[in-house]
Amino acid sequence: MPQVKIIAKNFMDMVASLPAIKLDKLYNNVFICEAILRSLPPLAKKYVLQMLYINVPVPATMMEEWVLADGASKHRVAIDRLIQLRIFSEISDRKRGTSYSLNPTFQNNLQKHIISGGVLPREPMNSDNAIKLPSLQELETYALKQWECFLLQLINSGQGEKLTGISSSMMKIFQRGLLSQRDKDGPRLTESGFQFLLMDTNAQLWYIIREYISNAEERDVEPADLISFLLELSFHVTGEAYNSNTLTEVQNNTLKDLADLGLVKLQQGRKDSWFIPTKLATNLSVSLADSSARKEGFVVMETNFRMYAYSTSKLQCEILRLFARIEYQLPNLIACAITKESLYNAFDNGITSDQIITFLQQNSHPRCADRVPSIPENVTDQIRLWETDLKRIEMTQAHFYDEFPSKDVFEAACDFAREWGGLLWEDSKRMRLVVKSEVHNQMREFLHTQSK
Amino acid sequence: MPSVVSKQYSDDVSLLVLLLDTNPLFWSTTSITFSQFLSHVLAFLNAVLGLNQLNQVVVIATGYSSCDYIYDSSSTSNHGNFESNGTGMPALFGSLLKKLEEFVTKDEELTKEEVSEDRIPSCLLSGSLSMALCYIQRVFRSGHLHPQPRILCLQGSPDGPEQYVAVMNSIFSAQRLMVPIDSCYIGVQNSAFLQQASYITGGVHHTPKQLDGLFQYLTTIFATDLHSRGFVQLPKPIGVDFRASCFCHKKTIDMGYICSVCLSIFCEHHKKCSTCGSVFGQSKHDDASSVSDKKRKAPST
Repeated sequence: MPQVKIIAKNFMDMVASLPAIKLDKLYNNVFICEAILRSLPPLAKKYVLQMLYINVPVPATMMEEWVLADGASKHRVAIDRLIQLRIFSEISDRKRGTSYSLNPTFQNNLQKHIISGGVLPREPMNSDNAIKLPSLQELETYALKQWECFLLQLINSGQGEKLTGISSSMMKIFQRGLLSQRDKDGPRLTESGFQFLLMDTNAQLWYIIREYISNAEERDVEPADLISFLLELSFHVTGEAYNSNTLTEVQNNTLKDLADLGLVKLQQGRKDSWFIPTKLATNLSVSLADSSARKEGFVVMETNFRMYAYSTSKLQCEILRLFARIEYQLPNLIACAITKESLYNAFDNGITSDQIITFLQQNSHPRCADRVPSIPENVTDQIRLWETDLKRIEMTQAHFYDEFPSKDVFEAACDFAREWGGLLWEDSKRMRLVVKSEVHNQMREFLHTQSK
Repeated sequence: MPSVVSKQYSDDVSLLVLLLDTNPLFWSTTSITFSQFLSHVLAFLNAVLGLNQLNQVVVIATGYSSCDYIYDSSSTSNHGNFESNGTGMPALFGSLLKKLEEFVTKDEELTKEEVSEDRIPSCLLSGSLSMALCYIQRVFRSGHLHPQPRILCLQGSPDGPEQYVAVMNSIFSAQRLMVPIDSCYIGVQNSAFLQQASYITGGVHHTPKQLDGLFQYLTTIFATDLHSRGFVQLPKPIGVDFRASCFCHKKTIDMGYICSVCLSIFCEHHKKCSTCGSVFGQSKHDDASSVSDKKRKAPST
């Protein structure tokens, strides 16, 4: 599995990197405390729960006794995480050594939450209201449609269809890093862009949300506010309508953007407007941990390089088009072939063979997924071979040296270049040498001292 | 069961089935009142639900003569009615309290009907254990990804020896399903059933010493998910009471007679096994005073 550079999980790292004052402010909200608790590693969760009603600092040596010997590394990870998120504060004492205590705000809020539960600051819609609410099924289709629309626009911006209400400037921000602008042929998907498409919906969602938050300051919105609103949103009940009259203006604007992403559905009543969180929104705090339900695959790969994809989605079709030639499309089936040309095209765009193979493996049809290997071996081998075909020549910037005054100087120069790891080629008979450009400066200085 | 394991979440997502002892005969004798106890338990349940969004809690009330599901966090009927009942309890547990009240009243009526004076004031552990296992079995068969199940018995009533066979059968089914039974015994005597249940299924058995700190015991020991149990220090059993009950008088015995065919246990000699009908040999049984010599040790299950 290729290393995925875009890690959606590091949203919590972003929270951790907030300045201390803002972080402490975040903990004033009960729901954020809860969401943070849920994002912790299992052992850390346990420590928090265990220390919830302990008001004195607990010595580190005592905490080490809570775990067995083979859990020591996990213990350290948990403690580091808790300190990083400022949930634990470290107290060092010369006499008793290090001890830890819970962040008092966090502790208080969590205690309150556990005893009396939380009450959302939003007003749920009364059941006697005349507006008909969409069913959960409808809501899910709506959410997925919006999200797919958004993704399609994200990767296809050149085609200029205005599908969602996301402003083009906002779209640009999301596309940053995923698409590369080339002179002639418009934006192309980059390597990380392809990785993005490979991720499951929750992970993609977090990537987008993260970009959205990190961009917040440019829009004069406090990132901490945005984080707290988003985390709070994940505690609403899917399919319930909430009155948006309690929202601030910033939150209202955010809500509009979220509606475009399919996180909420907006509904206009006679007097008030309502918002209905979809599954995407309530799953936000789930995706903080890495457990996410896997989607069912749809691709059948045959040994003759033909691929059948049982999908009606335009997005899936676009993804396949990245590395395969679409031959024809039936209402529920996309038939395509993997050819040398289509793959060269993909490699040209910075997509690697490993990524393609992983994508095929992860999305293989349930019937094929049971087989080992799920993708025929001759196909995976050929994809890899075609990639290595392109990599027969490797280009390195280099400098060429010749006319050395003596054999000794030449040998010394060779050794020097070797030490710096920059020696590419040497010809001791005619005393010629090729060295990487990176070490050219050091090389020149070295030769200067030698010639003196 | 590889097919079961592969369907589980990789993480620490857990399904906790809590068996709550509501036996009025026990709660009239304890140092803490039932409502105090309940507040500890509700806080604990809230904490478990708070640990992970996918965590699930099912509560089964174990009464004197009946048992019933009183709460299931996965059923949608718990959402929606957010009108707090004004008691300061979490709105989510409003339905739990209501159901519990209904259950206790119903249980009381049933108890009145079948008054037997010499019955030990036990609770219907076998019934609630089987209900818990049925629920877990349904989760296993639902076909989707499911959380890792475990059972927690919160019991204070003494064991009812007449339930011996049913309880042991439930324990062995749990063992087969690889569902650990944790037990927290809050009564005065020791519960052999619970000790054996936890021992056989690989769960944790603990007897809290101070009941007013019950929440701390619950969170420290019983909130540990199965994933973390591999590297956390948990209380180890000091000794397990393996005593069995005889099939004829439902008494707990140290020594007894065992049918060599079906392994039924009896406290005194019979001519015929009441379970399988095998006829026992008479041997040198005429001398009644030497019975104690021939008593054999009960099987250590």
